[in-house]
Amino acid sequence: MAVNSEKKDDSPKPSRSQWLRKALLDVTASEYDILALSTAFKLLLFPTYRSTDFEVHRNWLAITHSLPISKWYYDTTSEWTLDYPPFFAYFEKALSVPASFIDPQIVDLNNLNYSAWSVVAYQRTTVILTELVLAAVLMKFVRGAPDPNIQRLVSASLFLHPGFLIVDHIHFQYNGFLFGILLLSILQARQGNLLASGFFFAVLLNFKHIYMYLAPAYFVYLLRAYCMSPQGSILPSRFLALANVVTLVFIASLGPFLLMGQIPQLLSRLFPFTRGLNHAYWAPNAWALLTAADRVLLQYAKRFGASFSVDASGVSSSSRGLVGDTTFAVLPNVRPMHTFLITIIFQSVFLVKLWRTPTHRSFLTALTLCGYTSFMFGWHVHEKAVLLVLVPLSLLAAENYAYFRTFMIASTAGVVSLFPLLFTPAEHIIEVLYSLLWAIVVFGPLQQRLYEFPRSLPAVIVGSLETMYLWGFLLLEIIVTLCPVITKAIGQGPEKWEFLPLMLTSLYCALGLIWAYARLSFLYLTST
Amino acid sequence: MHKNGVRHWVVPCTLLASALVRWCIGLGSYSGQGTPPMFGDYEAQRHWMELTNHLPLRQWYRYDLQYWGLDYPPLTAYHSWLCGKIGSFVDPSWFALDTSRGIESPGSTLFMRSTVLLSDYAIYLPAAWLFTRVWHSGRSRRTQNAALLTLLFQPALLLIDFGHFQYNSVMLGFTLLAATSFTSGRDLLGAFFFTLSLGFKQMALYYAPAVGSYLLGKCLYLGLRDGAQLFVRLAIVTAGTFFLLFLPFLPPLAPISAILDPITRIFPFNRGIFEDKVANFWCATNVVLKWRFWASQSTLMRLSTLLTFLGFLGAAVAPIRAWLRLRNQDRARTTRTEVVPSVMQTVLLLALLNSSMSFFLFSFQVHEKTILLPLLPMTLLLSTAPHDSSTFKLGALANNVGMFSMWPLLRKDGLAAQYIALTLLWNRLIGHNPCISLRQATFLDVFTWVVYLGCALLHLLEFAYRPPARYPDLFPVLNVLVSTPVFLFTWLWSIKSIIEAGWTAGGLSVGGSESKEKKAGPGVVFPSESLNSGGFSSALAPLEGVRRREGRLRAQSLGKGVFG
Repeated sequence: MAVNSEKKDDSPKPSRSQWLRKALLDVTASEYDILALSTAFKLLLFPTYRSTDFEVHRNWLAITHSLPISKWYYDTTSEWTLDYPPFFAYFEKALSVPASFIDPQIVDLNNLNYSAWSVVAYQRTTVILTELVLAAVLMKFVRGAPDPNIQRLVSASLFLHPGFLIVDHIHFQYNGFLFGILLLSILQARQGNLLASGFFFAVLLNFKHIYMYLAPAYFVYLLRAYCMSPQGSILPSRFLALANVVTLVFIASLGPFLLMGQIPQLLSRLFPFTRGLNHAYWAPNAWALLTAADRVLLQYAKRFGASFSVDASGVSSSSRGLVGDTTFAVLPNVRPMHTFLITIIFQSVFLVKLWRTPTHRSFLTALTLCGYTSFMFGWHVHEKAVLLVLVPLSLLAAENYAYFRTFMIASTAGVVSLFPLLFTPAEHIIEVLYSLLWAIVVFGPLQQRLYEFPRSLPAVIVGSLETMYLWGFLLLEIIVTLCPVITKAIGQGPEKWEFLPLMLTSLYCALGLIWAYARLSFLYLTST
Repeated sequence: MHKNGVRHWVVPCTLLASALVRWCIGLGSYSGQGTPPMFGDYEAQRHWMELTNHLPLRQWYRYDLQYWGLDYPPLTAYHSWLCGKIGSFVDPSWFALDTSRGIESPGSTLFMRSTVLLSDYAIYLPAAWLFTRVWHSGRSRRTQNAALLTLLFQPALLLIDFGHFQYNSVMLGFTLLAATSFTSGRDLLGAFFFTLSLGFKQMALYYAPAVGSYLLGKCLYLGLRDGAQLFVRLAIVTAGTFFLLFLPFLPPLAPISAILDPITRIFPFNRGIFEDKVANFWCATNVVLKWRFWASQSTLMRLSTLLTFLGFLGAAVAPIRAWLRLRNQDRARTTRTEVVPSVMQTVLLLALLNSSMSFFLFSFQVHEKTILLPLLPMTLLLSTAPHDSSTFKLGALANNVGMFSMWPLLRKDGLAAQYIALTLLWNRLIGHNPCISLRQATFLDVFTWVVYLGCALLHLLEFAYRPPARYPDLFPVLNVLVSTPVFLFTWLWSIKSIIEAGWTAGGLSVGGSESKEKKAGPGVVFPSESLNSGGFSSALAPLEGVRRREGRLRAQSLGKGVFG
């Protein structure tokens, strides 16, 4: 239509499809390709294993659809009570409307563990569709990036991240959508719209409160870079604007519950302080290493007589393998207050640095390190929280070779640490093959572009150790795969050794993640 | 990716990705899942593994024929035996005689799915890889890999093998190996592979007229002495392979009557002309003509045989004619090349398409899954064609409609999501885009639009309404009415193209044949030898230019976009 036949120009005329693309958010063909191919692949994952999180979200659809808002945070029909902040509840409410048209049984409160084709297809489709937020934001990252080609690769790597595939499209959650909001906030910060950045982060917090891990960095950065002049004097109008925006967001979210006087109940749902130090499966952080050290010391004490006092409850705790609360047998027990203090101390080191150099890049690194510290030392950290580290870290991957190495080690260890989420053999094959494919496609070209020759002997040694560590994942995967076969062959009860592959994975990944943490901290603190 | 210095990773990545996609399709349901007492094709295959492992060979084609009796040739039986042997080693209960009927434990399902993947990767994958390397040997690595992607993600084959559950890729892979052997001049090896294909599934007979005619033509081409020699050798290889395949059922090892068991099982002559709704000539015309009232079973049978024969006449004649024309021309030049002329490669593929499509359209007892046979040569032709050629457009259309024609079956199997996913995946991968402006549209483009519109409408109708009680089969019948014209069109196109290609064969000489070269454009393959000879470079230049501009796979533009 746009082509006028009377026109006499020699330049290639824009065809209609190109014109359409211009209209559709300026999406290039290769971006459509990624979208189409990945969507096709995600459709194939519809029948895969679903964790209880699937039923959790179905139950939330039912709660928000069939109960008045005053009962949302009180309902206990299902054991999977609503424990996300109100925005997420509103989000579920919005999703429940089409669901009730497609199949009214989806939103039936008493229809527990409903798993018909309709609900599976519907809920899986909502994950794919809401992930478009992530896609759109990542696309915006490419536009206006200093090096669009490399940013395109980074954006593609994030959109196709195995973490999202495992946690969202198989295990079932809405991380793609939520991280889309986080990245939108970061994008606003990159473009200098710090007020908008703060707004979107406040919104995000009211979707899922786990993002509080990142809040200190936001707080310091917005205060320093937005509310203060470079010379250090406070700008009251800006401060008030930010405070108002954040307050308004919280009022929009919590307001109804504030009026109904339900805030204490809501908070008790959001922050249940009755859990143990480690999750059932140890998240690969500092506490996993400490717990393992305790177990080793305990075995030592049992064999060679104790030269130190052994806590009886800790002994029984160890025999239960990986399930439930962790009580140390030999080492002093860790209390929530300890983890809190350690986290604050480490974070404040990075925050001081951020205060002194409030640039965007510094903010991004501090943000990553903030999440990283919480993941490393937090109380009852979930292995899925590693995404909080991997996603912002990916944005730093292309800074230089040192950052890329950090990214490569952390990503590999982080993704492998997610593998135990899917324990059925068919899905295990999928996650391994997919992650391998992702690693080849992402690490290969980045390595090619960023490679720097090591300039000192220590660098050579450290570099080769790291490479050995990365190859070690192959060995780990072989051991984990063969473990059930071997225990079956030697006639030991498979249950007795079930914890071994999990523990190995957790410890090996913890090593890499801690090393990457140290690397990143060093890079950040020594950067100028 | 090619531009980024990671080109040697393209093939491994392709293999990894295709394995991943195949495996993911396998997570869905299969034919007859959870439908006792008979279940479906999955149970048939599993049952064969069970019976070949527990019964003496003589009983294989006799045991409890009512419950999925073995009705494929011996190579399938041996394959089943091997799979069953391995499976029984892992867990004997999966294939216990009689007691394992209908077993659907997660372990056994996983094992069954992995046997399809391994068989596919053992036969079809090397065949596809060799095809791209031999047929496209004069092209860039990028074009070769593009063709490989096109073949590996062919949606209809993936859905039937990995979703519905069958081992078609083994039979098709052997045929593909045969075709590649023929075109590289290894006729005996090709005959061996084609016999294996026949020995795996008798359905490969649909290709037989084309293969037979091609080989006969080659014998005639070689002249009296060499031709007779080749003919005798081919006969020995073919007969020998068949003999080996059926050896356990033949006299020294079994009484002469034993051979009758597999033969009668493989060729059932006493069934109706069609059973389900298949998008072929009989089903489509039956809507109006009601064949069963008009004619008796035997008359219909004769009619269908006659029509099939007329249908593949082109395939039976064209290769011989092309070889003869080549001979005359070579005689004039008094040289004879050892290399198979490139035009014969195209003729072979077109003949394969023509003969298998005629069988699909006109013969009796056709299944909807049989469309896979014509789709193989069609996809091979497509993989060699530039994007704006009619071969490419028709190939994409035929593949998509082939998918659509199997929709009733796939819906029954619970593979709706996989159906959407693979259609999307493959079309995006090959860069099929039917939306071009009206001004440039050819008849084929308009035809494509109408067909796609019909498909979309039918899907919408089916989604929104239940069929009226009077016509419970309304949607399958409408499906047949939309699909059949496309297959008929493809069949007609194959006849037209094969005649054109035949003309080209006669006129082919180094230099001075540019116009004819271009005319035969759809799918003409240039071997490396002709690429290097100076006379062709001028004729090639425009074609290669087109390919460079258009014939790029989406996946590679993607690679370039992301990494370039």
